[in-house]
Amino acid sequence: MAHILLVEDSPEVSMTVREILATAGHTLEEAPSGKEALKLLAGGKFDLIVTDIWMPGMDGIALLKEIRGAGNAIPVVVISGGAPNAPLTYTAPLAATFGANVVIYKPFEKAELLKAVDTVLSD
Amino acid sequence: MNVPVTPLRPKATLSALDAQRLLDALPSAAAVFGPEGEIAAANLRAEQLLAAPVAAVIGHAPDGAFRLFRERAERIGTAEHARFVQPFGSLWYLVESFPLTVGKQTLRAVMATDITDMKSAEFEIRESEARLEEATRIAQLGTYKLYWDTGKMHWSPQVYAIHGMPPGGIVTLERYRDMIHPDDRELYDRTQQNQIDGKPVRGVEFRIIRKDGAVRWLRKDARVLFDSDGEPYATFGTCQDITEAKQHEQELKSLLRRNTILYEALDASPIGVGVVTTDGESPEFFYVNAEFERLTGHNTSSLSERGIETLTPEGQLGAGWARVVQTLRASVSGAFELTCLRRDGGQFLAQIEIAPVRDHPGRDATVFVLNLRDITVDRQRAESLLQSQKMEALGQLSGGVAHEINNLLQPMLALSDLGRDIADKDPAKVRKYFEVIASSGRKARDVVRQVLTFARRDAPQLAPYPIADLVGDALHLLHSGLPPGIHLNQTLDCGDARAVVNPTQVSQVVLNLVTNAADAMDGEGEVMVTLGEIELDQPTAAPLTLTAGRWIRLAVSDKGCGMDPYTLSRIFEPFFTTKLAGRGTGLGLSVVYSIVAGWGGALKVDSEVDKGTTAMVYIPVATDG
Repeated sequence: MAHILLVEDSPEVSMTVREILATAGHTLEEAPSGKEALKLLAGGKFDLIVTDIWMPGMDGIALLKEIRGAGNAIPVVVISGGAPNAPLTYTAPLAATFGANVVIYKPFEKAELLKAVDTVLSD
Repeated sequence: MNVPVTPLRPKATLSALDAQRLLDALPSAAAVFGPEGEIAAANLRAEQLLAAPVAAVIGHAPDGAFRLFRERAERIGTAEHARFVQPFGSLWYLVESFPLTVGKQTLRAVMATDITDMKSAEFEIRESEARLEEATRIAQLGTYKLYWDTGKMHWSPQVYAIHGMPPGGIVTLERYRDMIHPDDRELYDRTQQNQIDGKPVRGVEFRIIRKDGAVRWLRKDARVLFDSDGEPYATFGTCQDITEAKQHEQELKSLLRRNTILYEALDASPIGVGVVTTDGESPEFFYVNAEFERLTGHNTSSLSERGIETLTPEGQLGAGWARVVQTLRASVSGAFELTCLRRDGGQFLAQIEIAPVRDHPGRDATVFVLNLRDITVDRQRAESLLQSQKMEALGQLSGGVAHEINNLLQPMLALSDLGRDIADKDPAKVRKYFEVIASSGRKARDVVRQVLTFARRDAPQLAPYPIADLVGDALHLLHSGLPPGIHLNQTLDCGDARAVVNPTQVSQVVLNLVTNAADAMDGEGEVMVTLGEIELDQPTAAPLTLTAGRWIRLAVSDKGCGMDPYTLSRIFEPFFTTKLAGRGTGLGLSVVYSIVAGWGGALKVDSEVDKGTTAMVYIPVATDG
């Protein structure tokens, strides 16, 4: 079982992710933006980060830059709201560039998220 | 008193009484003077001129008329027979004086006949001749006579004057022909032939070249004179200098030609042109050109009865058409877009421009030119242009919209999955899941509605809206569609102030300006969006073509690449773009411009290369009530 930091501004999505990860026995701390996430990261030990990209304030990409820039190799799962083929969707390539381990697209199913988390944790 | 009468003839047998009777029988006043100028004898008719009875003047030198007559006669010569006309008082006399030898005495007889009647008749003739002379001089009309046998012409003084020649010179036909303008010689020859053939000449006009080089236009009328045997022997004619009249005629002709050209030009114009006069109670059409007739189906006369109202659709006089009439009344310029009624009952969207024709500077014009265009097609084209830009904007929004929808689909999909697994074990939790699912569904529905509203193809209706809410909503919809490196810094600082706008258009304006700002910074940097109420003073408002007063200002700034003055001067042109192919149609700012103009506001863009750009939109504040 892992201790996971969830970074997500949408309360509905946060609740959903929380419920899915709880069924698999993971524990969770939540932040509505990159800035809040950095504070939590500084104060605690996490096995994994699950983060959205589009958020007011510091977004997911900026958060990734901070983490990797600081030499932190913590596994990161990006949950992206942009459709893979939509215009102005930089998410997948950007997230990969800035060091995301896995990118999955909303809306995802329970199994999809759990599989991504398992994959990243077992690496 | 004895009257000493000297017998007229020494050997005559007449008595003195008979001699007196003879004198009295003369039809003239008569007096006989002695060597000292004294009256030796006089008749009754002389009494009037002597102003005394004959008996009283005998032996005396007379005063008055007879003294005058005798003195003048003696000046002519005492031994001569003198005959002259002498005025006296208001009368004229024919005076005859001759010497009389009676015995050794030489006397002088003076007879005076009243010829006043004859004289005044002569005066009248002379005056009439003078008048005629003056008239021919004024009319520059002379007479001439051409004798066929000699070929010589006799001219009146006026004819010489017309030809610029001293009077009295002899002109032969041949020399005269040399004076004719070369272009008119054929006509002249023909005319001469007609005269020889006995035909009258009426109003023949030709030119002569005078010795001083002046070209004069002459008009000749002539008829042939016949002798008592019926043979033609001369031509009598009049000759008139009509150069001035010809010049006027030429001027008139060129004026008419100018008018014709102007009318033809107006008829060739692709714009409907009407001339309206406001002398009367209501504006009247004075003239409309061919295009105006084609557009409206009306000509000047069918417009005459009801004037401007003829073009006003039923019940629309209160609408924009009233402003047309007001503009005419105020004697100012104006431009309008109005529905115009055709003669066949059809209607079209017309652009009407009015300009006063100022014939007296400083005074109200009573004549106006009215340009008329059918802009129905233009309007449709503009609308489809706006629509295609909206579609483009929608494309730009789609990333954001997808993100929004995906975020809402996420709980619906995953929670229904989770809920199914625990439906029996934890009904309370499942109920919670359903609530979230339902609320997500509602939110998704709102997003879809928003998108559909934006894409709707209908005429934008303007109404007062709280502008901060509209701008906030638009920013919310678009923020997640921006590149991640773009940060929106928004200050919406005008409370619940209401602006007269259309919500969809506000989204479009905000989207276009923010997207441009983001693009100018290559997807990395801060876009400042500020909204506030401001007070514009006259010097600031005028260049924006706005009125001074309260306005809402939306400003979107970036610290991007900026624009040089050339680029800045073209940004409102449709399809002008500096973006790479596939990244924009170049319609954005032209659409913002036309939208804002439609609100009655203004768009101003300041930019400096490498410093950034600020776009400012001035939006009308809704007045209370």
